[in-house]
Amino acid sequence: MSSSPTLASRLKGRSELGVVLLLGAAGALVIADAARIVTPYSQSDPVGPKTLPFIVGGLLLVCAVFLAVNVLRGGQGEAEGGEDVDLTHPADWKTVLPLMGAFIANILLIDWAGWVISGTILFWGSVWALGGRNYIRDGLISVAMSLLTFYGFYLGLGINLPAGLLEGIL
Amino acid sequence: MTIVVGYVPTPEGEAALTQAILEARKSNSKLLVINSSKGDALVDNRYAQEPEIQTIEERLAAQGIDHAIIQPVRGHDAAAEVLDAAEEQKAELIVIGLRRRTPVGKLIMGSTSQRILLEADCPVLAVKAGATA
Amino acid sequence: MDVFSSLMDGFATALTPLNFMYAVIGVILGTAVGVLPGLGPAMTVALLLPVTYALEPTSAFIMFAGIYYGGMYGGSTTSILLNTPGESSSVVTAIEGNKMAKAGRAAQALATAAIGSFVAGTIGTALLALCAPIVVDFAVSLGAPSYFAIMVLALLAVTAVLGSSRLRGFASLGLGLAIGLVGLDVVTGQARLTFGVPLLADGLDIVVVAVAIFAVGEALWVAAHLRRNPLQVIPVGRPWMGKQDWKRSWKPWLRGTAFGFPFGALPAGGAEIPTFLSYVTEKRLSKHPEEFGKGAIEGVAGPEAANNAAAAGTLTPMLALGLPTNATAAVMLAAFTQYGIQPGPQLFESEGPLVWALIASLFIGNLLLLVINLPLAPMWAKLLQIPRPYLYAGILFFATLGAYSVNLQAFDLALLLALGALGFMMRRFGLPVLPLILGVILGPRLEKQLRQTLQLSAGDPAGLFSEPIAVVIYIIVAIILLWPLLFKLIRRNRPAAVPAGMPSTGSGTVPPTEAGGSGGGGSHRADATPGGDGDA
Repeated sequence: MSSSPTLASRLKGRSELGVVLLLGAAGALVIADAARIVTPYSQSDPVGPKTLPFIVGGLLLVCAVFLAVNVLRGGQGEAEGGEDVDLTHPADWKTVLPLMGAFIANILLIDWAGWVISGTILFWGSVWALGGRNYIRDGLISVAMSLLTFYGFYLGLGINLPAGLLEGIL
Repeated sequence: MTIVVGYVPTPEGEAALTQAILEARKSNSKLLVINSSKGDALVDNRYAQEPEIQTIEERLAAQGIDHAIIQPVRGHDAAAEVLDAAEEQKAELIVIGLRRRTPVGKLIMGSTSQRILLEADCPVLAVKAGATA
Repeated sequence: MDVFSSLMDGFATALTPLNFMYAVIGVILGTAVGVLPGLGPAMTVALLLPVTYALEPTSAFIMFAGIYYGGMYGGSTTSILLNTPGESSSVVTAIEGNKMAKAGRAAQALATAAIGSFVAGTIGTALLALCAPIVVDFAVSLGAPSYFAIMVLALLAVTAVLGSSRLRGFASLGLGLAIGLVGLDVVTGQARLTFGVPLLADGLDIVVVAVAIFAVGEALWVAAHLRRNPLQVIPVGRPWMGKQDWKRSWKPWLRGTAFGFPFGALPAGGAEIPTFLSYVTEKRLSKHPEEFGKGAIEGVAGPEAANNAAAAGTLTPMLALGLPTNATAAVMLAAFTQYGIQPGPQLFESEGPLVWALIASLFIGNLLLLVINLPLAPMWAKLLQIPRPYLYAGILFFATLGAYSVNLQAFDLALLLALGALGFMMRRFGLPVLPLILGVILGPRLEKQLRQTLQLSAGDPAGLFSEPIAVVIYIIVAIILLWPLLFKLIRRNRPAAVPAGMPSTGSGTVPPTEAGGSGGGGSHRADATPGGDGDA
């Protein structure tokens, strides 16, 4: 409706357009993936494996278009509140990124170093990211949690979590 | 000159505040009331809410004391907040309330008053609940 | 099927020492997570899904049911003592409940909530035991076309009616259905959305998806927006009620139950609308209307009963049709699939003893909640002082553990993080998570029914409408979808109608019909919002 300079100003602060991109990409992906499936028509399965993906992909694309229009017109998703959530300040990446770091460290370490070590790092790192500064107490709790879950899963659920580096000791 | 008082909404905290008011009137000093929280839990019963602060505000104003009330929530423990403020204000006196703690409790939780007593650069006046002059 | 004797068998199973212990664990755990900030029953059941590898299905479901009911109860405790309703269904409880607590009547508010929950939960469970077999009898006669239609209705109703933005609901549903597509197609063996990764061939494990969305996404979201100013909890002793309180409470309990159960049983009823309706009704009927807004006990008793009756109602479509309508029921349904149990109308037939033991355990759980929680209320309030770092680190820790223990492969943890990030983004931009989970769970079953339907009609789409029930349901679906348009039309006509009706005092016909027409959903939600804002 309006000219390009307003479009630029409209894009500003509209991070929700990222959601539009995600929906659009997901829709295109689902449809492209379904399109490459080749199945002969079968009397016993007239719907085939492609129909639902096409519907779902279509739904995602339609949602992406409508959401784009909605956001550019000033629509906004309502961020989710909660009893321990304070929406008056912006997202605190200084907490979230270290938290994800601890999570990724666990993913990389779990098979090699074993759950007791990687789980300790995960818990201790998460506590640190969330503001815990009582290093010794935090560390003791982390080790205790990992050991307890390791043996709890082994004895209680019959699941062998990887022992990794501590193989033979545990 | 300034007097710093660590306040918590408990009998000990009330006793400290009452004593601090007496001291401030005696020496005609400024009174800085600190009520802090680490802010690491949803609930902290030692963090005074709006109405309580209001009451203290009125009480100090009625006594004609030059005062300020601060409620820092910065993830620091109460001892650090009191010591920081005392240093910053070059306080002449710190007033705190004492409560009984079992040795085990002290071991686990640490003792705010002990840390203030040991680390403060100025005199510290420690008051027990129900023992005010 | 004799309901009474089946139920008695159920009691016999649920009261074995082992199962009784799991009921106690579930109830205590449920109350604890209901009280704790940031944790809810859906997340807890999701985190506990790994126990399905070791526990008997009966024991596991008895524990899950305890968590479900316990979570409701715990939520009301924080609403009353802190004015921080954790779930939308306890928003209304907080209005009067917190005012009561501030006026020094916390013990009575907690008592009427607890006893009201017990009354409503017990009546609700009895209704569940009576209604579910009837629904099953009706449902087993349905063919694939009708069943397909019912699933479409359930998906669309949850997506379109609940939540504040229909568009964002549908976006969430689309993402969920897409996640449900991943893996080998069961009929033809074709790989879909696997991108040549062999680990994706079996599809995304529902445990991983549920834990990622409910636990990891939530923990990251809360971590990004931690509340900075601590609250003070209102001190409370043991809950009790005086004679006057009983007198003022028992009618609201029963009326709340009457509102709650049917709404809970509807595909998109939820617990918000009945709690709000109950509040409005009690306000109108009360002999002390001046107390409302200052802490009227009726305003706690009614909505709390409605909330718990709705929770029981929700289990009706879940057990009888395999259709979950809230997050906890959805995760419980995921647990059924973990055990290889087919949810749906056949469930009562094929897993009769399990279902009846589950229903019996609901009665037991309700009683346990009352017996355990009345004396323990002061202790629950202490839980709120747990430092956040431990709380949220614990959620991530157990989320990791749960997702990893499914297949013991680190790849699942990468998926967990990716889907957790998705859950974070959805919370940030107001995409509701329930449609996504329902899409993941119901998508594959929906596709199966669709293929069966069209197989019967040899590919003719008319086969979808071959049963009268299916046609009726599609009409309801159309009404739900077109509702905003209809609503606009009514509104557009209103300015013309109102001035015409106003001068002539006799013509009172126009407003009542309008009120009746809009009573279904839209207007109540619009009304409920200011109530929610008032609590913030």
